[in-house]
Amino acid sequence: MFAYLLRRLWQMIPTLLGVVLLVFFLFRKFGVDPVQTLASLNATPREIAEIRAQLGLNEPWWYQLAVFAKGIVTFDWGRSWATHETIAHLMATRLPATLTVTLPILVLDTLIAIPIALGVAYVRGSLTDRAIMVGTTVALSISFLVYVIVGQYLFGFQLGWFPVQGWSDSTWTNLVVYAPLPVLLAVLVGLSPQTRLYRSFFLDELGHDYVRTARAKGLTEPAVLFGHVLRNALIPILTNVGLGLPGILIGSFLIEVYFSIPGIGREVLLAVNRSDYPVIQAVTIYVAMLTMVANLVVDVSYRAVDPRVVLR
Amino acid sequence: MSEMPDFVSTSLVSTLADMAPPRRAAGVWRSAWRRFRRDGVGVVALAVVAAYAVLIACTGSGLVARHWQDEVGVPDAPPSFLGAPARATAGAAAPASAAAAAPAALDIADVDPLAPRYKEWNERAAQYHAQARPVAASLPFGGDRLGRDVLSKALKGTQISVSVGVLAAIVATLIGATLGALAGFFGGRVGDLVEWVYNVLTAVPEILLFFAFAAVFGRGISTLVLIMGLTGWTGQYRQVRAEFIKHSRREYVRAAEAIGASAGARMFRHILPNVSHVILVRMSLMVVGFIKAEVILSYLALGVATDQVSWGTMLAESQNELVLGHWWQLAAATIAMAVFVTAFSLMADAWRDALDPKLRGQR
Amino acid sequence: MTAPLKVENLQVAFRLHDADGRAHRVEAVGREGQGVSFEVPANTTVALVGESGSGKSVTAMALVRLLPRNAECAGRVLWRGDDLLQAPRAHMQRLRGHEIACVFQDPMSSLNPVLTVGAQIAEPLHKHLLMGRAAARARALELLAEVGIPEPRQRIDAYPHQLSGGQQQRVMIAMALACEPQLLIADEPTTALDVTIQRQILELLARLQAQRGLSMLFISHDLGVVGEIAQQVVVMRQGTVRERGTVADLFASPKDAYTKALLACRPRLDERPRRLTVIDDVLAEPAGAVAAPVREVDLDLDPRRADDDDPVVLQVDGLCKSFWLRSGLFGRMEFKAVQDVRFTLRRGHTLGVVGESGSGKTTMGLTLLRLHDAASGPLAGRVLFHGHDLLALAPADRLAMRRRIQIVFQNPYEALNPRFTIGQTLVEPMTIHGIGADAPGRERRARDWLVRVGLDADAMHKYPHEFSGGQRQRIAIARSLTLSPDVLVLDEAVAALDVSVQAQVLNLLKDLQDELGLAYIFISHDLAVVRFMADDVMVMKDGRVVEHRRTETLLAHPQDDYTRRLIGAVAQGPGPATPAQRALERPTAPRP
Repeated sequence: MFAYLLRRLWQMIPTLLGVVLLVFFLFRKFGVDPVQTLASLNATPREIAEIRAQLGLNEPWWYQLAVFAKGIVTFDWGRSWATHETIAHLMATRLPATLTVTLPILVLDTLIAIPIALGVAYVRGSLTDRAIMVGTTVALSISFLVYVIVGQYLFGFQLGWFPVQGWSDSTWTNLVVYAPLPVLLAVLVGLSPQTRLYRSFFLDELGHDYVRTARAKGLTEPAVLFGHVLRNALIPILTNVGLGLPGILIGSFLIEVYFSIPGIGREVLLAVNRSDYPVIQAVTIYVAMLTMVANLVVDVSYRAVDPRVVLR
Repeated sequence: MSEMPDFVSTSLVSTLADMAPPRRAAGVWRSAWRRFRRDGVGVVALAVVAAYAVLIACTGSGLVARHWQDEVGVPDAPPSFLGAPARATAGAAAPASAAAAAPAALDIADVDPLAPRYKEWNERAAQYHAQARPVAASLPFGGDRLGRDVLSKALKGTQISVSVGVLAAIVATLIGATLGALAGFFGGRVGDLVEWVYNVLTAVPEILLFFAFAAVFGRGISTLVLIMGLTGWTGQYRQVRAEFIKHSRREYVRAAEAIGASAGARMFRHILPNVSHVILVRMSLMVVGFIKAEVILSYLALGVATDQVSWGTMLAESQNELVLGHWWQLAAATIAMAVFVTAFSLMADAWRDALDPKLRGQR
Repeated sequence: MTAPLKVENLQVAFRLHDADGRAHRVEAVGREGQGVSFEVPANTTVALVGESGSGKSVTAMALVRLLPRNAECAGRVLWRGDDLLQAPRAHMQRLRGHEIACVFQDPMSSLNPVLTVGAQIAEPLHKHLLMGRAAARARALELLAEVGIPEPRQRIDAYPHQLSGGQQQRVMIAMALACEPQLLIADEPTTALDVTIQRQILELLARLQAQRGLSMLFISHDLGVVGEIAQQVVVMRQGTVRERGTVADLFASPKDAYTKALLACRPRLDERPRRLTVIDDVLAEPAGAVAAPVREVDLDLDPRRADDDDPVVLQVDGLCKSFWLRSGLFGRMEFKAVQDVRFTLRRGHTLGVVGESGSGKTTMGLTLLRLHDAASGPLAGRVLFHGHDLLALAPADRLAMRRRIQIVFQNPYEALNPRFTIGQTLVEPMTIHGIGADAPGRERRARDWLVRVGLDADAMHKYPHEFSGGQRQRIAIARSLTLSPDVLVLDEAVAALDVSVQAQVLNLLKDLQDELGLAYIFISHDLAVVRFMADDVMVMKDGRVVEHRRTETLLAHPQDDYTRRLIGAVAQGPGPATPAQRALERPTAPRP
């Protein structure tokens, strides 16, 4: 196991390097000249030259790349061009808000979609099955935006069940008062694709030989579904949850923007609009690193779900 | 559709084929079309998509909705099917009452410094003929806050959103399928290199990549297509690579190698026709995904340019309108998008079933 | 005492959609209102024998109602007087696993990969006998010991993929017998296993059947296997019963023409006829003809003696092929698939290569054709073809080499590109090598080859899915022959075919060899087929050649232990030493 972890960490390095290179060259080559953003409109040429020197933009590109890389390794992300807040501080303060919303969404989505998909797999081929499939197709064709707009209007404004917007400093208040509406809307939207996906996993498993053996042993259909099919389907389900893990870090920026939740997604969006490059670069690399770690965690946890997996 | 008992060996399938009535040999596409024709839902969906295609052609060539930007209605004009609007007359009445109220104003000519000039200005103004553009009190599907026709916007927006989605899907498919074929067939160093690129691109959540590219390249349709194509090829790559790996181990490819077929011949003449239906099915899924992504990006003002309209910009505007009770722009955009995406998805599902019944259950 | 299982006029049809999406019914068991009827008496093994498409598996699954939803059944299946086809689902669920149990063909896929062996055996114990966890575990241990799993205490918590194929099948048997059923349905339980393991499982099944006094319904396509394990036989063809009877009667004096044909077209270990009988030869006999022993037709033994004067075509010396496998953190280790193989092949001769899975025989065939990637592992040795070393060829010369040595693979359903017409498949090799002056010329040649292998010329415009397995294999043979090679490697080329079809293809191969002077390397696990085809036999195990001599000598006086075991494992039919016979002789007391 230790050798496996070591090998995986070793393999992460080229990928991380690639992300760093991608971000660096993307912003240097195609992006706006940072001096223009930082200098005021009336800056004199001398001031501009000073800013250039300060930012180290006169050095050759590989030197700049090395400085950039060093910043990453030492976790010194620099400061936001817009607010001069250190990015480390920015991320530390925004991440909890994002997680307060995205973790419940991920958990609830998975937990609710599994029994629904199991139920649909049980009645496969029947009218209920077809109706649900058509229903989810229609539900999926409506943009997430519409759900959020209408949902906020309906539940927050008209019915008044939830506050329309807001955030507080206390995690508990957030969880109970401010997060429920966005979480509810996101889960509702996420149910359609997840149910369809999990249904296809269950149907795939139902076509395997071991299901026939289980029936030949006299097990009832529910016993076959729960005892045999679900256990095997957990493997692709875990893969799917793993694919969604990186998403919880960036958050659903739409929700954050719409409900004015001070999370990382919203920060990145603001940064894009303000051409605040350090924030975008740092968040991209930071999230990439965490994504790779999350993938590693998922791969290791396969061992618990699939005994055929050998971690070499 | 065809549901053979899973444990029945393939030789039984072949024997059953012998027992079926003989018919002319049909290629894959023709027999898929015949199967597709029997699926009622699929055919209806195809008709809807075809109708949209015609609409898009008309809009794109300027036949329809060319002047969507013109402000032809009063601001927030309600839809015609709601009945005669009361507010429009109120709006028209306001200037009239203002004009009627004017004579009751105080005469301040002696302290007004501009007073001597009024006569001159009125004479000069009389030389110009003011043409009041006729402004409709209500429009077929209502107007937005600037008075633009929502129906025209919806048509134009359909053209933009769907074209962006389709073009981006084509770009992403070309990139992903080519790389997937190379990586799957050759493996080795080539495969490792492409895998590295794939890992780098998937290490960052897709939307973050969009943001990064958008921050750098700005807005506009061509940048959108470029961004989505450059970041969205990973799904197609993964699938095509898996298919090529699977097929290159199959005996018919080994046999082709044994008779001396070159690598290129094996990849494109032998394997590709067996994989093309998978590629197309995934491409149709990508179209839907990219359309939805474009909507969200345009909503965030990162998508199409400011002087263009898409479903996303319409939804962005409708956000504020909803609170005032003006729901028609939201409805128009949502309905246009929902009908198209539903029809397209159902059609793609039916095609997938028709092309290879064994693919059913795979998404 | 009436038989516990009585099948009366069973008919099964499937609602299918054909290639155009039209729905139609396909009769799988029973034809035109005439269903299948037979009985399984107590304490007896009844075999259901037939080729593919005979409906034997479908019949077996119909008994326990394990067919898919689009199946329609008619008739009666009486289990101790109750008609199972009318029984409610809950009743069937009580019966399955408890009174009637099943063992399936492929144990690796029939066992749940994420549950331990012990958990899966305990499941029916929990459900039907209501045993607690400790009691079920103890009983599972007993069962594992009974079916011959070594070290049951360690194996009980193992997962299926950690066991070998033979052990997995033993676990399936243990699971089936857990609740002491009265009827065991075994659907081709040994087909997926190696020949030596097959014999062990057959003996196990026979022993268990005798000890417990069970009824067993044994489904198989292999008459040899059936002869060894069953007491009664039901022969099926295309959904109908052709003959029923005891094993002894059936093998000694079959009454139905199809049964006779089936018995006659098996290649035998003890003699080598010139041609194998095919079904059509026998079925064409007029009905009233005197029942002459069929074998006389083919009794002229092969007059063609393998001549040592024939020119040498291929000379292989010290051939070794290994593969790199990843090991440890960064290292790799070498897996020796083929070690030090040497032989000489002459024009018009056939070299048989025999071995079980993992013996390296297929790897050797692929290596001769340079079909392995150079990066997959080291390659050593010399393969001299008319003096040129094939292994040392520059890439530019390899194309020319492909004309001289060709290969036919095992699986006819994967050997042809499903998107190519037959014409395209046949013309392609000629186009690559520039045979034939122009396109029409090549098509003409392709048509000639099609006719030569016994198909209609109008097959040129059809697609592979319109042909049966045997026909596809013929097309694959035609494809390799379009290049007029000198050597043809046949890698288990008939293993996936039914016995009757196999006979036709083998006859075709022999005819082509006589006509064209081809040299064959015939790779197979089936000694009887190799007996028929080969002049010399090479036995391989774990990559090494164990024995190599003339066919008759090897079969008559095997020198190596492994060869002896291989010969002994071949199922030949009823006789004094079969498992069924031996089991009958043991004193058996039916379990209470």
